[in-house]
Amino acid sequence: MKKHLQYYFSATLNSYAILFFSQNRILGVLLLVVSFFNFDAGLSGLISVIGSLLLVNTLGFKKEEIKSGLYSFNSLLLGIGFGTFFSFSFAYWLWLAAACLLCVVLSVNLSSFLGKYALPSLSIPFVLTFWMVLIASNGYLGMGLLQKGSSLIFELNTNPPSHFSQLCLFFEHLNIPANLLLFFRSVSAILFQNSVLAGMIISIGFLIHSRIGFSLLVLGFIASCIINQLTGTYPGGISNYYLGANFMMVSCAIGGFFLIPSWRSYLWAIAVIPFTFLVLNGLSRVLLLYNLPVLSMPFCLVTLGLLYFFMLRKQPGKLKLTPFQYYSPETNLYQFLNGEQRLKDFKYFNLSLPFMGAWTVSQGYEGSITHKGDWQHALDFVLKDLDDKTYQLPGIKPEDYYCFNKPVLAVADGQVEEVIAYIDDNAIGQVNLQQNWGNTIVIKHAENLYSKVSHLKKNSIKVKAGDYVKQGDIIAFCGNSGRSPEPHLHFQVQCTPYIGSKTYPYPFAYFTVAGQSGLKTFEVPQEGTTIERPEINSYLKNAFHFQPGYLANITADNGHTETWEVFTDDFNSTYFFCHENQAVAYFVSNANVFYFTRFYGARNSLLYHFYQAAYKINYSAQPLEDFFAADAENFNLLLWLQDALAPFYRFIQNTYTNSIQIKADGLIVQSKGGRLLLGKDKNWFKAELFLGTKGIQGFALQHQNKHLKVTWETSSV
Amino acid sequence: MKQKYERPTIRKMNTGLMNKFGTRTDFDPVESIDGVAVKDLVEQYGSPVFVLSEKQIRRNYQAALRSFKTRYPKVQFAWSYKTNYLNAVCKVFHQEGSWAEVVSGFEYHKALGNGVAGHQIIFNGPDKKEADLILAIENHSLIHIDHFDELYLLIQLTERINKTAKVAIRVNFDTGVYPIWDRFGFNYENGQAWTAINKIAKANKMELVGLHCHIGTFMLSTAAYAVAAAKLCQLALKCKNELQNPLQYLDLGGGFPSTNTLKGAYLPGVDTVPSVEDFAEAITNTILEAGFATNELPLLILESGRVLIDDAGYLIGSVLANKRLSDGRRATIFDFGINILFTSNWYDHKISVAKESGQYTEETVLFGPLCMNIDVIRESIMLPLLERGDQVVVHKVGAYNMTQWMQFINMRPAVVLIDQQVKSHLIRKPENLDYLEMMEVVPDYLKT
Repeated sequence: MKKHLQYYFSATLNSYAILFFSQNRILGVLLLVVSFFNFDAGLSGLISVIGSLLLVNTLGFKKEEIKSGLYSFNSLLLGIGFGTFFSFSFAYWLWLAAACLLCVVLSVNLSSFLGKYALPSLSIPFVLTFWMVLIASNGYLGMGLLQKGSSLIFELNTNPPSHFSQLCLFFEHLNIPANLLLFFRSVSAILFQNSVLAGMIISIGFLIHSRIGFSLLVLGFIASCIINQLTGTYPGGISNYYLGANFMMVSCAIGGFFLIPSWRSYLWAIAVIPFTFLVLNGLSRVLLLYNLPVLSMPFCLVTLGLLYFFMLRKQPGKLKLTPFQYYSPETNLYQFLNGEQRLKDFKYFNLSLPFMGAWTVSQGYEGSITHKGDWQHALDFVLKDLDDKTYQLPGIKPEDYYCFNKPVLAVADGQVEEVIAYIDDNAIGQVNLQQNWGNTIVIKHAENLYSKVSHLKKNSIKVKAGDYVKQGDIIAFCGNSGRSPEPHLHFQVQCTPYIGSKTYPYPFAYFTVAGQSGLKTFEVPQEGTTIERPEINSYLKNAFHFQPGYLANITADNGHTETWEVFTDDFNSTYFFCHENQAVAYFVSNANVFYFTRFYGARNSLLYHFYQAAYKINYSAQPLEDFFAADAENFNLLLWLQDALAPFYRFIQNTYTNSIQIKADGLIVQSKGGRLLLGKDKNWFKAELFLGTKGIQGFALQHQNKHLKVTWETSSV
Repeated sequence: MKQKYERPTIRKMNTGLMNKFGTRTDFDPVESIDGVAVKDLVEQYGSPVFVLSEKQIRRNYQAALRSFKTRYPKVQFAWSYKTNYLNAVCKVFHQEGSWAEVVSGFEYHKALGNGVAGHQIIFNGPDKKEADLILAIENHSLIHIDHFDELYLLIQLTERINKTAKVAIRVNFDTGVYPIWDRFGFNYENGQAWTAINKIAKANKMELVGLHCHIGTFMLSTAAYAVAAAKLCQLALKCKNELQNPLQYLDLGGGFPSTNTLKGAYLPGVDTVPSVEDFAEAITNTILEAGFATNELPLLILESGRVLIDDAGYLIGSVLANKRLSDGRRATIFDFGINILFTSNWYDHKISVAKESGQYTEETVLFGPLCMNIDVIRESIMLPLLERGDQVVVHKVGAYNMTQWMQFINMRPAVVLIDQQVKSHLIRKPENLDYLEMMEVVPDYLKT
């Protein structure tokens, strides 16, 4: 029951907060309170929200979406609009219910319809529904809907002044610049109000939610006012509703919500203002024929139009659309930047090296010998000895060369596309220019992703066209056929299946470079370097290879216990779920590394501390460095400053490092978190993870002044 | 420059068939080792002196590792201490990443002293003392059990100290070569090995982590290793399938030959001995095709000794005297004999002169300095005409000599390591009387 109430409570608050593209509770509560400044509107708004939530929940729509307020915020707008526009009566509640139903239906259908194009439905359901109500009630007076005032929709309450309205009045005449008053009034217009006090409260809420978002509101306001000043479009100044519900909202949506905030998105946030002027004025002229207000339609049209326009780009460049919506411009930005840096597993197909042992890149990308023009993104590999020779004396036969007749592996799973196996191996120093590529295998790994190995040994190929191969399978042996004066292995990635296709630059997922510490992830090896597959430490791999159903009982030395279970979600992502406090930590675990991608939930939970301590683990036991995404944990002036500047410049970085100490019967992962502020490293936390043959045994963490020792017991579901 | 005096020699004209390999004899002088002049080495460290080339050790190690690692994903070498346990040598191998393979308590302690982590020491051999076993259990070392009595002792010990031992058994089998080394470990064909494995599986405090074999020494057949690997794999798969005990490693032991020529061999070793590449191919192909899942392939451990160090070792010695034997044969006496060149019992060592000499050679017997009849280094060798005081260099003496040498009549000489920067380092001082008498105790009544 408590869970049930919590769910409705969150969904209700989210329905309010989402008006400002947020899921911030403080903002939600403030908006709820402010909506009751106009009591009728506030009440019908709240009733509409709860009614809609009950409806969609009973009908069994997706809980996650319901909880985010996606299906109910249009009803909220509708309720507030109703309450602002019409007087209470029996018919009022009837038609409100009907309109709410229509609005919910439209919300669900439009979200699904537009969702196919990865577009949001914004407030279109509300606008359409409200138009429908207005048209209907204007034509059929018998419906019984009584309009409140004259043509002025959004006037202030005309009841006799109460204490509250006196307070409001005080703020209306506050001794601050007129533009500032207009700004606050515009902000309040989103809830169909025209109140400085309401605007101020909402502004504070929004600032708490997002510094970037607030700066964009201000930017949109200033840009619109200046343009109006210059053109004189509205001689009496722009109406606060146009400003709030359209211009400022567009700036906010384009500049910081649907695009990753950057100076580019900020430029668009300005550029979009005159564009919106045009759409708004045009639309309002047309709607005037039917005596309809434009409401927030211009905002919806402009935002949707631009979004789709941006989506259709073939090469998006640096102006990025938000790939995953965290309902906060800051989080969107930080997660995006962090993801670019860390989550290359999702960006690239995971290619492993096409050989065993340590091979040297004898010719890299744009190599001076043959890797030129269309074939510049290729790699040649040889084996070298201590004396940098590729052969043992006398070096006159291919067999004298170390790499000759060594196994060649499939770099990833795939289907063999083409095989040539009959070409003779050359004598040393000779090349076969007629059959340039020599014996060759092309493997298809994905659409438009093929790998090719060439100059293989004659008749050494173990696969044929059409065969499926697994990553690491031996497919052939290194040889000296084709344009190859001495045995070597040629490797390239290409987008088309032909022998002779042009090359495509593509990194290897994980490898180590001789003489350099650390694991290389998703890099193209450099010419002259000797590279090798990472050697996996079985303790680490065994301990961190969590499968769905894995269950751990965690006990801290302060008596606090948690139970964690591993689940897989709809998108095949794995995560830890804490049964006690519902915290969730997403992680990735592949053949080479374990790392967390995102944590949701309480910062004092043990799961959060494990997330910190084991943020990333190399199974090959090299020391590593990584970065946490910046996070708005609690109020901190410095962090707020960082947030406001983040689209342009970031001066705080949260670092993570670890090193591994191998013991006789297990090992210890020592990790450290730091905050890098203008080049100065501040200690954040220190942790030690203890591993034995049976997996993780426990961990210790020192976080600020907190010392924590945790024991770990495992069982499977 | 004044030409070197060369004594006259008389040789019998040979008018029969030509030697099928021509008349060439290998007597290019070896004036320096790894860039350091032989003359300087003798001046500095005396004669005789053992010289080891660090670069050649590393070259050998890296080549062997490359041969295996480019064919198999998980490979580990463990340096066979008995082959050469001078600490400097061991440290070079450990620096390269090698574990330690020891066969006695003192070797075990030596490995610990060289900084090898307990879990990277493999404890082999039929003679493991109780105290050493306890230490090995506590250090999580890999204990390779040789016989049932040792197995029973281990079971007792683990129960007594209440600690789990990581063990493997040594398996012997018929690999088609003679002799079968069935005196070590448990036999595969008669089911002894499987019995031992079952006993280990049933023991409470034993963890079976691997299987070990070592089919012989100076093996000239790669096929034998393929047979050994196949049988070991079968046993490992049986452990996994029947006992649900997947094994972490297979230890194929050592036994790879160096390019020395065995006594009685018709052709020289350099031409007949299979290379590490050949052994690697035979072993890895067998394991890869044995039926392990790709991600469950066991670690392959190799305990090669000889092939990694033999050709990195040289012995420099000097001529003591020339002689004519009663049957007319020439004889040359050197200041080193089988006392320090133990391997001359096994090989026809290649011996080079240390400075330029004339084109004439004569057949000679090489004797050591001992007053023992058995002290013969070569029964017959063609060498240029040597004088008293001339230096010679014996090749490929890095394996076993510096562990099996004896102090008899003469004391053991210095051992020198030439590093990669062409600098020589004394790694074992020549012995002296103090050293010799250090352990002696004279009873009081004999002192006066």
